[in-house]
Amino acid sequence: MKVKWIIQPPIYMVMLLLLTSCWNSRELNDMAIVTGIGIDKAPNSDEYRVTFQIVNPSATATSVGASTGQPPITVYTTTDRTLFGALRKTSRKAARQLFFAHTQLLIIGESMAKSGINGLFDVFERSHELRLNSVVIVSRETDAASVLKILLPIESIPAMAVVKKNKNTAKLWGENRAISVFELINTITGEGEPVISGVQIYGDLDKGSKKSHLEQSQVEAVISLSGLAVFKEGKLKGWLDGPEARGTMWVQNKLEQTSINIDSEKEQDSIAVIINHSKTKVKVNLREGVPVFHIYIKEEGSINEIKDFVDISQRKELYKLEKEIALKTKGEVVKSLQVAQSMECDIFNFGNELKRTDPKAWKTVKKNWVSLFAKGELDVHVEAYIRSTGMRSKPYQQNEE
Amino acid sequence: MRKELISANQLFAMIILFEMGTALVVPIGLESGHAVWISILLALPGGVLLYLIYSYLYQQYPNMIISGYTQRILGRFLGWPLSLLYIPIFMYNGSRNLREAGDLLIASSYDQTPIFIINAMMITAVIYVLNKGLEVFSRTAEIYLLIILGMGLICCFVVIAAGLVEFENLFPIHAKDWRDALTSAYPSIWTFPYGELVCFTTILPHINKFRVAQRTGIAAIILSGLLLSFTHAIEISVLGTNIYARATFPLFTTITLVNLANFIQRLDALVILTLIIGVFFKMTIYCYAAMTVTADLFKVKDARKLAVPIGIVVLFSSFISAENYPIHLDEGKVFMKYILTYMCAAVPILLFIVHYIRKCLGLLR
Repeated sequence: MKVKWIIQPPIYMVMLLLLTSCWNSRELNDMAIVTGIGIDKAPNSDEYRVTFQIVNPSATATSVGASTGQPPITVYTTTDRTLFGALRKTSRKAARQLFFAHTQLLIIGESMAKSGINGLFDVFERSHELRLNSVVIVSRETDAASVLKILLPIESIPAMAVVKKNKNTAKLWGENRAISVFELINTITGEGEPVISGVQIYGDLDKGSKKSHLEQSQVEAVISLSGLAVFKEGKLKGWLDGPEARGTMWVQNKLEQTSINIDSEKEQDSIAVIINHSKTKVKVNLREGVPVFHIYIKEEGSINEIKDFVDISQRKELYKLEKEIALKTKGEVVKSLQVAQSMECDIFNFGNELKRTDPKAWKTVKKNWVSLFAKGELDVHVEAYIRSTGMRSKPYQQNEE
Repeated sequence: MRKELISANQLFAMIILFEMGTALVVPIGLESGHAVWISILLALPGGVLLYLIYSYLYQQYPNMIISGYTQRILGRFLGWPLSLLYIPIFMYNGSRNLREAGDLLIASSYDQTPIFIINAMMITAVIYVLNKGLEVFSRTAEIYLLIILGMGLICCFVVIAAGLVEFENLFPIHAKDWRDALTSAYPSIWTFPYGELVCFTTILPHINKFRVAQRTGIAAIILSGLLLSFTHAIEISVLGTNIYARATFPLFTTITLVNLANFIQRLDALVILTLIIGVFFKMTIYCYAAMTVTADLFKVKDARKLAVPIGIVVLFSSFISAENYPIHLDEGKVFMKYILTYMCAAVPILLFIVHYIRKCLGLLR
């Protein structure tokens, strides 16, 4: 009994200390929250030039208080041969340890993209702080560092603004989509080639990184999503824009909503149709050793604008319009497929699809899949349905005849 | 001393928690690629069969644990050393579970904390509950079963609701996949996690009725097999075969991907909790098994006195056995292939056959 009294209190004391689990403690005011990471190729060397966009806590606080006049973010740039090395080396410049659990955006500079991206993502998988669902974007005609430096209105943290822009346009316009590090790794390890959304800076870069440019209604520099970067064996091969980009989304079954203009009898592109539901099924098989890509698209939409007279109260007219939509869609899809074939980049994961459904056939074509993909035959079927014509049936413009 | 009794529900809870312990979190049966979930189902009948053998032996000797009837069936000269082998195996396997839990914690959030501290904290809880006895432990199991199932439901719901599941990753199953699934089911998945139920030969004597023990045991094994298969199917469908195979803790990676309406995210804590709870029960059962076998072989009157020494051995072997996680996994393969299979399956089957023959010939006293 006496022994128990001697032994127990110290044990409890030690337990109390340990159970607070403060061994790893990192207080909020010791952390610098990184929202965006930009990777460029350092000029004339193999090193990475890594830029971190860091939240400036005193400037982003929403509570009413003394405004410090500082910008909401600050940017540090470090060069090193590895990403992790660069982020640790940044401690020489940053007063707080960088904290990566809130990193939403990874921007790859165009120079980096051209020299190869396949080795970049291991740290995202391995680290417990970096998230696999950070969005990846390629900066077009500029370096990643300048994109991260630009201050933007409405969203005070630019990295989040870019991510939101990407998701927004993916949802409404459908030429881009937000691809995460996770998807990218899955694409790299699979048989296909990745496509990544691009961003471009319009305006004056130097003025755009000053806080003063936010004090006018039209800001000096705007970051805009622009096209899809196509990679081949990890290296930037080219860009898809406009209909080609949207066709790619269509084939990948990633299109959420989009708006297409179709022709009326008199005028070109005079009817705006919103596609609010679209589903794509892909089948790949071999016909005498040459792959055939069967693509079945089913889409539904509603008419949102008619510039001249079309009597859409008539069934016949609506069928005509549906055909027109299907034709237009097919045109974009075929265009994107042909561009990809000319680049010899299987960005639609057709290889994976064949491997999944028919592993034996895949083995026979695996070696020269790239050239076979370029020769592959296309078989595109589109079904389009108009589900609604909005708040009116006939338009107010009357037929003159 | 009064005999400790546990109820059917408590056995049910213990078996499920034991099966889910680590098998839920670590990748199992990697040889079968995207058909892992099928190999888990294929191994299920084997697991049930093994349990039938354990419960048959328990029926024949309702008051004895494995070391007791091994000596009865094979005789003292063969039976005693054979049962002695079970002690280090139970302890080592317990320590492996501890190591996996510690490593997940370190890899996921406690990157600065030494593994010794984390493991020591966990083993303290195990020693404490072993000191309290089996009844207390089994009541804890009942409570935690509900918690684990609740968390499992939440996890499944959010993963599915977040739209991460892609069934293309699971289908189709070709003839080659079936063959792969079968080869990874037997013996590797058969022994881990089903064969590990050999520990329950030390717990079964605490149930009064043979029928109850058999029925609830089989129900629990089938349910846990289905849950395991479902969880691994979801993991593969979310991650794809490549990342699933490379991830040290696929369930953890799966959950980190959840982002529901930019609001429900970072649910990693749920996985860590699941693992800690599962490992706590699995490890306690291993330690309990090691404890009772030791007490039985060396005629220790109060088995509970062995809780501290066994706990400490398990703690130290958990981090001394391997210097890092890959080596730990490597050792696991060897251990499973050359030792666990024999001790979990071969020895009980041997006992069963010998017992059956001797019974037929009327040689048993």
